[in-house]
Amino acid sequence: MAANPPLTSKGAAARGTRSSGAVLRRLWALRWIAIAIGIVGWFVYYPIVNNFLVSRTNQDIFTGEVTNVGLDNYRRLASDPVIWTALKNNSLYAVLSIIFQVFAAFWLAAIIEGLKSERWRSIWRAVYFIPSAISTTVTGLLFYFIYQPNIGILDGLLTEFGLAHLSRVWLGDPTTAIYAIIAMSQWQGFGYSTLLFSVAIQKIPQELYDAARMDGAGPFRQLISITLPLTREMTGMMIIVTVTGAFQVFNEVMVMTAGGPNNSTQVLGTWLYEQGFTQNDMGYAAAVGSLIFGITMLCGVAQLWYTRRRRVLA
Amino acid sequence: MRLPTLSLTAAVALAASLGWTGGAAAETAIADPAAPVQYSGTLKVLTKFGTQRLQPYFVGIAKAYEAAHPGVTVELIQEDDDSVKGKTKTLVASNAIPDVFFSWTGTWGGNFVRGKRAVDLTPVIGPDTDWGKTLASAAVGSFVYNGKYYGIPLYLDAKFMGYNKTIFSKVGVEVPKDLDGLLAACDKIKAAGYTPIAIGNKEPWVAVHYLGQLLAYDVPKDALEKDFDPATATYDDPGYVAALGQFRQIADRCTVGADMNGIAYQAALQDLSDGKAAMYYQEIIEFDNSANGSTKLKPEEFGFFRLPAPAGAKGDPNALEGAPEGYMISTASANVPLALDFMKFVTTPENGKVLSAPPYGQPSAVIGGADPATMNPAVVGGLEDLAKASYLMQWLDTVNHPKVAAAWLSSLQAFAGGTMAADDVMAAVRTAAQAAK
Repeated sequence: MAANPPLTSKGAAARGTRSSGAVLRRLWALRWIAIAIGIVGWFVYYPIVNNFLVSRTNQDIFTGEVTNVGLDNYRRLASDPVIWTALKNNSLYAVLSIIFQVFAAFWLAAIIEGLKSERWRSIWRAVYFIPSAISTTVTGLLFYFIYQPNIGILDGLLTEFGLAHLSRVWLGDPTTAIYAIIAMSQWQGFGYSTLLFSVAIQKIPQELYDAARMDGAGPFRQLISITLPLTREMTGMMIIVTVTGAFQVFNEVMVMTAGGPNNSTQVLGTWLYEQGFTQNDMGYAAAVGSLIFGITMLCGVAQLWYTRRRRVLA
Repeated sequence: MRLPTLSLTAAVALAASLGWTGGAAAETAIADPAAPVQYSGTLKVLTKFGTQRLQPYFVGIAKAYEAAHPGVTVELIQEDDDSVKGKTKTLVASNAIPDVFFSWTGTWGGNFVRGKRAVDLTPVIGPDTDWGKTLASAAVGSFVYNGKYYGIPLYLDAKFMGYNKTIFSKVGVEVPKDLDGLLAACDKIKAAGYTPIAIGNKEPWVAVHYLGQLLAYDVPKDALEKDFDPATATYDDPGYVAALGQFRQIADRCTVGADMNGIAYQAALQDLSDGKAAMYYQEIIEFDNSANGSTKLKPEEFGFFRLPAPAGAKGDPNALEGAPEGYMISTASANVPLALDFMKFVTTPENGKVLSAPPYGQPSAVIGGADPATMNPAVVGGLEDLAKASYLMQWLDTVNHPKVAAAWLSSLQAFAGGTMAADDVMAAVRTAAQAAK
C-alpha cells in the first residue's frame, strides 16, 4: 500500500483552489435550476407561508385594513359548527370514494380483464371511462336534472318501479343532498379508477394464472391469491390519492348546491370560498386553507412513506 | 374531477396579500367636470349583464363607442347575478378593479365608498348638474353615501307577483287584496290542478326576497334601518317572526313547500312561462323573460301585482321591495374622464330606450329613456307602480353586512325546508349581527 505523499503547503493550496473551484463550478451550475426554484418558490411555497401569515389577521378587502389577531381564527375553527359539518362531509366523501373508486373499481377491473375477448375488454374500458371525460360542470347540470323533484329521471324511475314513497328533493333535503353529490362524483370517477386498476392487472405475468389454474384454483381464488396481492401497491396508492382528493373536493359541491341547503353540503373547500369571497373574511378563509393544507399534507406524507416502504420491500 | 383546493387556498392568500399591500393605497378621488377627455387607451367595464339575453346590450354599446372614438378599446367583463359578487370581491382584493364596475345600492355600494374604491361623482352627477338632471333623481339618490353621490343608476327594479291572467280567469280568482286573499286564491288554483306559485329556492336569495317584502310590511321602517347597521342591530322587533310565519303560510299553501330547495329559480320561472304555474314572484327586469313571443304565456296574458300585505301589519303597507342598480367609477382608473364619458354615452335617452325595450326589458333610469311605445306594457305598469311606493325596501342580501346576509340566506333556506324554526332563524341572524359589529 503506497503511502500518500506528504502534503506540502503548495499542494494543499493547489488542492484548496481546486476544491473551491469545484464548489464554484457547482454553484454556477445551479443557475440552470435557479429559475425553476424561483418559480416553484413563488407559486407554491410563498402562498403557503403567506396563507399562514394571512390566517393570523383580520382583513377588510375594501379598505385594506389589516388587524393582527394571532391564533383567533384557528380558535374559531374549533367552535364553528360548519367546519365540523364540512369535515364530516369530506370524511364521508373519502369513505364512500374508497368503497366505490378503490374496491368496487378493483372488482370491476378484475372482471373486465378476465374477459377472453380483447375487443370486449377495450369496449368495456371505454364505456366505464367515458364519464371521466365529461367536465364536472356538465355532469353537475346533468345530475341536477336527474334529481329534479317530480320531473327528474330518478323520481320517474322510482315511481315506475312502485317506489314513489322513496321520492324526495334529493338536493334540497339536508339529509340526502351530500349523498346525491357523492353519488354523482362516484359515477364520474369510477371509470378512471377502473382503468388504472386494469393497467395494474395487465402487468401481472400470465404464467402465474396458468400455474394457479393447473393447481386447480378457480377465478375467485386467483383473484384473492394473485390479483389482489400483486395490485396491492396500486390499491394503497389509490386509497391515499382518493382520500387526498376527497379533502380537496370543490367543483362538485359548488355546481350542485353551493354548500346548501343551510350549509348541510359544505365541504372545507366551499366553506373557504364562502368565507373569503362571499363573507369578506379573508383571514378566517386562510385559516380554513391551513386546515385543508394540514390534512392533505398528512395524506401526502403517508403517500411518500408508503411508496418508499414498497420500494424497500421490493 | 377535483379542483385542487390548495390552488383556492393560494388564491385566497394571494388575493389577501395583494389587498394587504395595495388596499391601503386607495385614496379619495373626486370627479372633475372640467377635466379633458383623452380618447385613447383601454377601458375595462365589469357588468352584471352576463346572461345570454342581456349580454348583447353592452357589446353593442361598446362597439358604438369604439366606432365613435377609434383610439378607445372597451374591454367588457360580463358576469351574471350570482357570479358578479365573487368576481367583484376578487378584483377588489387584488387591486384590479375595472375602470367602471357594477354595484347594488345599500351596504354593497357602501363598501366601495368606505374603502375609497369609488370616485365621488357629486360634481358631475349631483342634483344641479347637467348629467344629474337627465336621470331619475330618486335613482341617483339611492347611491348617496355621507351626502355624496357615488353611483350612476342604469335601471330601476322592484319585485312583483307576475301572474297568468288566463289561469286566474279560468279558476275564477281575482287579484288578491291582502295576504289572506292570496292564500285563498292559492287554494282555489291548487284545487284546479295548477301550481299556485312557482318557486325555486336552490339559489337561496329567492326566499330572502319574499321575506324582504314581508319585513317591509311587518317591521317599522326605523327598526329595519337600525338593524341594517351592525353597530345598532338588535333584530328584536316581533315583526320578524310574524313575517317568517307569513312566509311559512305562503310556502305551505301556495308552493311546492320544502321541495323548493331542490328547484332552480330559472326552472320555476319557466313553469310560469309554460302555463303550468299561475304565479311567480319576480323583478320587473324579468317580465320580458316570463312572457314573450316564444313562451306559451303571451305578454297579453301576463299581469302583475304587489305581494299582498297582511291585514293589520305594523310596518308600511305601501312599501315595495326594490332598488335601482347601477355603476361606479374606480378610484384606481387611469382615465376617469374617459370612464365618465363612456357612462354618459350609456345613459343617453337613445340607449336608455334600447335598454327598456324587449328583449332587454330593463327600465332605464334615464329621464326619457323609457318609451312606452316600444316597451312591454307590463314593464311600463311596473314602473308606474314603483313610483307610487312610499318606501323602497332594498334587497335583504345586499343591504346587510355580508355575515348577516349569509345568515339570512342559509337560515331561511333551512326554514323553507322545514328544518329550522322561526325563532332559530332570528337567533342565527342576531348571532351573525353580533359577529359583524
